[in-house]
Amino acid sequence: MPEGASRDSAMAEISEAPTSSDPPNTKSEEEHFDPKTMRKTKPGLKRLFLTLTVFISFLIALPFLLKSIEIYRAPLPFEDIDLLSTEMEKNHLLFPCQFQVVFVNFDDITAVNELGLLIDSHMQKLTSENSPPCGACGNNVTVAVTIDSNSNCFHSESGNGDSKWQCGMLNGFDKVNDHDEDFDEYLESVLDSKNRKVYTVVVMNRKQEDVRTVVGKYRHAWIVGNDSVEKAVEKMAEIFIKVFVNGGKEEGSIRGEFMPVGADGKVVLSFSLLNSDPHDWVYDWDFKELDEILLAPVVDALRPVADISVESQVLYHTPKSSYSYWDDTQGSYIFSTKDLPFFVNSNEWHLDTSTAAGGGQKSCILYVPSAKECPLKLQLPNGEISMTNGFISPMWGGIIVWNPPACVENFQMQHLSRHKISSEDLKMISEVFMGQLRQLFGLKSESLYVGGFATSVLLTSDKGFAEWELDVLSRHHTCFNLLQCGTTLGSLSRLVQSLPRMIIMDEIGKQVKYSLEAAKLSLGNVSLGYSDASAVSSRKARELAEDAFYHPSMMSVSYYSFEHCFAVYSPFFLPVSLHVLLAVMREWKRYKVENRKYLAWKVKVKVE
Amino acid sequence: MVRLRSILLFLLLFKSFGSIIAEEEDQIEQFSEALLLRPLPDRKVLAHFHFESKVPPTRTHGSHHHLFPKSIYQLVHKFRVREMELSFTQGRWNYARWGGYDPISSRNAKPPGVELWATFDVPQHQVDASWRNLTHALSGLFCASINFLESSTAYSSPQWSFKSFATNIRYGTLPREAVCTENLTPWLKLLPCRDKAGLSALMDRPSIYRGFYHSQRLHLISNEFDLAAASSGMVLEQTLTVVLQPVTLGSGMPSSVGSIQQPSWSLSSLFGRKVSGRCVLSNASNVYVQLEPNLVSELKTTSETQQQSDVENLISQAWSDMSFEMSESAVRVIQEANGFQKESCLLYEFSLENSSDSRPFDLEFRWKRPVTWSSQLAPLQAHRFLMGSGNERGAIAISLKSVGRSEYAKSSVNEEGRCSLRVDVFQVVPWYVKVYYHTLKVFLDERLHSLAYVVERTNVSPSNDKVSPGLMEIALRLPCDVHSVILTLEFDKGFLHIDEYPPDANQGFDIPSALIKFPEIKTKMHLFEDKSACKSPILSKLQEESPVLWYTEVLLVPLTTPDFSMPYNVITITCTVFALYFGSLLNALRRRVEEEERLLKSKAAKPSGPIGVLLSKLSAKLRGKPLEPPTPSSSSKVSYKLILRVILVAGIAAAWQYFYG
Repeated sequence: MPEGASRDSAMAEISEAPTSSDPPNTKSEEEHFDPKTMRKTKPGLKRLFLTLTVFISFLIALPFLLKSIEIYRAPLPFEDIDLLSTEMEKNHLLFPCQFQVVFVNFDDITAVNELGLLIDSHMQKLTSENSPPCGACGNNVTVAVTIDSNSNCFHSESGNGDSKWQCGMLNGFDKVNDHDEDFDEYLESVLDSKNRKVYTVVVMNRKQEDVRTVVGKYRHAWIVGNDSVEKAVEKMAEIFIKVFVNGGKEEGSIRGEFMPVGADGKVVLSFSLLNSDPHDWVYDWDFKELDEILLAPVVDALRPVADISVESQVLYHTPKSSYSYWDDTQGSYIFSTKDLPFFVNSNEWHLDTSTAAGGGQKSCILYVPSAKECPLKLQLPNGEISMTNGFISPMWGGIIVWNPPACVENFQMQHLSRHKISSEDLKMISEVFMGQLRQLFGLKSESLYVGGFATSVLLTSDKGFAEWELDVLSRHHTCFNLLQCGTTLGSLSRLVQSLPRMIIMDEIGKQVKYSLEAAKLSLGNVSLGYSDASAVSSRKARELAEDAFYHPSMMSVSYYSFEHCFAVYSPFFLPVSLHVLLAVMREWKRYKVENRKYLAWKVKVKVE
Repeated sequence: MVRLRSILLFLLLFKSFGSIIAEEEDQIEQFSEALLLRPLPDRKVLAHFHFESKVPPTRTHGSHHHLFPKSIYQLVHKFRVREMELSFTQGRWNYARWGGYDPISSRNAKPPGVELWATFDVPQHQVDASWRNLTHALSGLFCASINFLESSTAYSSPQWSFKSFATNIRYGTLPREAVCTENLTPWLKLLPCRDKAGLSALMDRPSIYRGFYHSQRLHLISNEFDLAAASSGMVLEQTLTVVLQPVTLGSGMPSSVGSIQQPSWSLSSLFGRKVSGRCVLSNASNVYVQLEPNLVSELKTTSETQQQSDVENLISQAWSDMSFEMSESAVRVIQEANGFQKESCLLYEFSLENSSDSRPFDLEFRWKRPVTWSSQLAPLQAHRFLMGSGNERGAIAISLKSVGRSEYAKSSVNEEGRCSLRVDVFQVVPWYVKVYYHTLKVFLDERLHSLAYVVERTNVSPSNDKVSPGLMEIALRLPCDVHSVILTLEFDKGFLHIDEYPPDANQGFDIPSALIKFPEIKTKMHLFEDKSACKSPILSKLQEESPVLWYTEVLLVPLTTPDFSMPYNVITITCTVFALYFGSLLNALRRRVEEEERLLKSKAAKPSGPIGVLLSKLSAKLRGKPLEPPTPSSSSKVSYKLILRVILVAGIAAAWQYFYG
């Protein structure tokens, strides 16, 4: 290789800053210096430093970019939601309740506190038989016992001061058996349970054959007869647990989850009169009468549980869609319980949803059969004909088949004549509707409770619902609302977590937060015993939770997908990152090679 | 004297009794149905169904009804609607052939698509909210996209031209709404008998929608919220107007003169169904056959040429001498009592009272001789069209042409004795068609006139971009002898944001129909003042005075349609430019120019085959390393490495596709 070329190549190896020009070395050195494997100067770091800076600044900027293109998700309290939903699912909500027992004319008992403990243990036994349903009375139950005899008046220690029974109140009252209603009212005036919310059972020791158990319209019951203390205690415990706490329902009947109340606590009872064929006859009803006289008290009574509004319509040309057959022995057309799922003809029955209904609409339908199928009767599975001639469909509503008098009398109707359903019939119909309403709310519609120890007479209120039944409903309502709130929020949080790129508006976050707060408030009120306040806040919690879940922005899947993001940003970042990466790699490689050369030269110099 | 007194007393008693009866009738819910059939001059038949539900005010009657639809009642109470009209129309009413002067055409000819207007009984600031809620409720009720009228760009509030003396009015149209059976079914649901019985049973969907014009209308009046005692409750009027082409029945008489024989028709040939009885819930169910005044006079003249008979023949239904016959005999024949007009229309009334399943009502109308006539026309024929070309600007022209008849003139002679005709023009234009209202020009008989000469009153609210549409109301006062009037307005086509284009942007955008109104020319039927005639709601409706209306054509404006992939293209090209710039900058900073040049020179100095040089150059480019002398071993090594690299990249791509694709 000529000398000039080697010099040139040596010059070329030097990084652009001519830090040190080669000193004129001796010829022997020149001979041993191979410019392909050695260099005399330290390789420069400037370009490497520059490319590395660019690369690192890109790396640093990356998180900022990701942050800036991130979709907005309002922070949701996932832990709190999970806590609430698991808590609501695991342990049922239990309410504190107060019970009171009064023994009248039992002279031989003195151990008041022991009696209280005995009743308590019986109640524990009854509750432990099956797990308490949602909305039952909880562990912190207090039983106050009072013994009121002619000579003595003992109070147990557990009762609180102001709710004590005043002894001697029943001394002058004889006609216990004759007029249950009167005695009920009298007891109410004595006990004033409306304001104090204490469940009371009064046991009266009397010399009579049969032992009667009566449950009043308010929050008390009484047992009259010649009964032993032990038996009376068993009966009491049963009345407390099965009637006052569970509402006289059997297990397996409609459960508390089926509260027919919309998310906003409103129920619209939509009454429809269906004339299946107006060519045969046209019936009309005086709905004003039904509304004002028969329904208004019920609506008033149920106000703490649900805000009920009533509307009505009359529809024509609405045949049922199931078949019925003629039965000679009954002298009527029969439809059986098997046909019930097909009775409602959703093609022809235009039961419009009301503009006012927010989900809690219940249909109450009065079906007037046509002449072709009249009289139409419902056959129960045991072969008997139903007394009410009606049935309910849980969560949807109830249907009554009303056979017009015309079809029995078999007379020719004049066209155009519009008949009114007589007010006696209307009263009967409204009673059946009332029973159906009670069933829709999950209560029984019979006036007897048959328990394991005693059969009790249940007095019926003209409002349709007794005080203790309303208590049961209210407790169920609170419990159901909280349960529903928990499950709704739980599924919301699961949904949100499963879609990591879904936009969540601030409003949803707020609603979830307020819903949780209301649920907590409701739970706190339950443990403190403020049942009304807890019902209100539980309703609010559920409403907010459902609002959040059904928020319009949730429904529309405004979903900014990763592919979209990639497609938008890749035209810039792909080429640029290629440039940067390649530059860094090349510079680094070159630096390593040059550095090796330099080191080789150094070694050589040292050796020489 | 005593006798006279007793007679007086009796009369008084009778009168009060009568008024009691009348009051009682007002106090119950009423429903009536009627069908009016009219042969049209162009071999078609007009069928007009009319259903009316009346309900007394809530104050006296309560809120529970046995006939009135619950949903409408709740709607009225929830949104405090005072008056509302909703129409679904398909096809255009042919004013020139089917008439533009009679009450049916002026009430039931509607613009294509959906038209909704409503007045509310709420304070001024709540009207818009009520309107929005109403559109949503109606949209759910009628399975239509009426909720698109919610946006403030879709509705307007006309002051006086659309409906005089109306406050809190909102008006909106959807010209492109397709109308079909899913809109008819909910409409029928509001009738107590639906389509199960009565006249509505005729509404066979294929027959109805096969027609040339189809308009279903719902008109609601309520003065529930009036504090005055004279509240009459709510009236819900539902009409369905269809124009059908009858399938020719039989051969009839062969036309001798050469004029086209009118087709004979029957209910079953028109609708494919018969009426098997009335709706038992209706107070009246009648079928009417209407002969237009021109047809009546034509029939008179033809019969005069042949025999002596006149209008008496038509009334007595002596078919033998007539140009047509009907299979059923009418219950009564109502003649228009029109003092000063020589022509008057005839109405044959048929009752459904006696029809049943076994004996269905099937009216047959059979022509025996060819008859030609024309319908009564509005004083001016209105048309609207677009002028100009290109995607930038254009002009809207409304042309009014006189039909050359002067009989309308006498009603509108002013104090100075000059005959004049008032015409109101009401037009709503969407905001993206930016109309310059100052460019309004009026041409009378093709000569430009100053606006002051003809325009009596104007109200213009220019459009506000993306907020409100442009609204123009003009009242013109035209001389009677004018032959043609042309109004022109220039406009610029606006640009929409890319999100605002509909899915089918290339189809163009609709400008809703303009409404031409002749407020001084009222149309009504002058029927005999017969007490029983007034009982039928359709007749009392026909006797109500209403101004003559004319809806113009819907205009289709093509706007500039962007390339919808444009944003992405812009992003891509910008990014590429940036990447190029960035890459070259980085290279410029990094490269050692002198070193590379020297290396190249040293390479060039060495002799080598041209292919070897090229290969080594290429490999050097690819490897990004300084050029090496091409030794055979190294070049094979290079290609080997190259292949490895390509495989590596392909593998990464495949893996990416597999895991993320």
